[in-house]
Amino acid sequence: MENKLTFESIKCGDKLPAVQQHLSQEDIWHFAVASLDMNPVHCSPEWCRKSQVFGIPETVQHGQMTLSLLAKVITNWAYSSGGTLKTFEAKLIKPVPVDSTCTYGGEVSELHPVKKGKDFVAVELWATDQNGDKVAVGKAQVIIPQ
Amino acid sequence: MDYMEEMAKYYTTQKQKDFTSDFLDPKQIDSYEFWDEIQIGEESEIPTKFEVKAEDLKAFAAAVPDDNPIFYDEEYAKQCGHDGIVAHPLFVTQIRFFLLQGGHGSWNRTPGARNPGQIIEYYDPIRVGDILTLKLTSYDKWIKRGKYYMRALSRIYDQYGKLKMRYYSTLILPRTKADVLRFLKGEHALEA
Repeated sequence: MENKLTFESIKCGDKLPAVQQHLSQEDIWHFAVASLDMNPVHCSPEWCRKSQVFGIPETVQHGQMTLSLLAKVITNWAYSSGGTLKTFEAKLIKPVPVDSTCTYGGEVSELHPVKKGKDFVAVELWATDQNGDKVAVGKAQVIIPQ
Repeated sequence: MDYMEEMAKYYTTQKQKDFTSDFLDPKQIDSYEFWDEIQIGEESEIPTKFEVKAEDLKAFAAAVPDDNPIFYDEEYAKQCGHDGIVAHPLFVTQIRFFLLQGGHGSWNRTPGARNPGQIIEYYDPIRVGDILTLKLTSYDKWIKRGKYYMRALSRIYDQYGKLKMRYYSTLILPRTKADVLRFLKGEHALEA
């Protein structure tokens, strides 16, 4: 097991390892089945060509999948050290069409020394598409128990 | 092959197989709740329960995709300080879609709905074996730049009455049943 993350070792400004993810229609279908969100705006290319819910004739990634990948930045970083989310919020700025490649990142913005086992940090989160445009921003509070 | 057949390739759990998966089925629309019908403050306890199985947790993490062993390997997760395999932080998505298939909260399934952002507060980890109950409150609705927003508060409890999480979900919705029916036909009907 890798080195444990501790509250004392974390500093404001620390960058969390980024996650990059390409999105295919197969990925969207897989997430639709796992989340049970089988809305045609994600799943039916034919329906999207007609309805253009987001003004584009393509399916788009589930907003919940964007959020899940933002959360993956946190789980990759802290969960193997016993960390857990206390709060998580995100705002979706721009739809992510099928066949996009997005990068998900985070940076520690606040340290909250409460007491051993309850100390937590705040992390600013963001996702950008292959053009560098922000598609989502968020904030998480993460309990670091060690 | 249509998209429903394509998705069927990914079914692995019993809940997925039992789920009413066709969001465009006109017969379902009559049981849906529409933006103009939402009563702010309406509260309901959803009668269906969600029994958490390891296959549910693993299926969700696999689709993110996230191969971190904390989501699959109980022994590893315990070594990391967790009680057992971990529920992905957005696993609540599966819980809500499973429990809100008709009636109060069914706006979740509305064709044409958009997701502008979400807020989740976590109080206790979701564990394999939990039997979860959802209390749903229609929290707020508003009109902004010609779009119709609604926010619901979901409180999820385990079989002992312990609060697991509070989840504020926001959606932009078609305003009326007539707008949803237009979407069913593939017409854009979101703006006022």
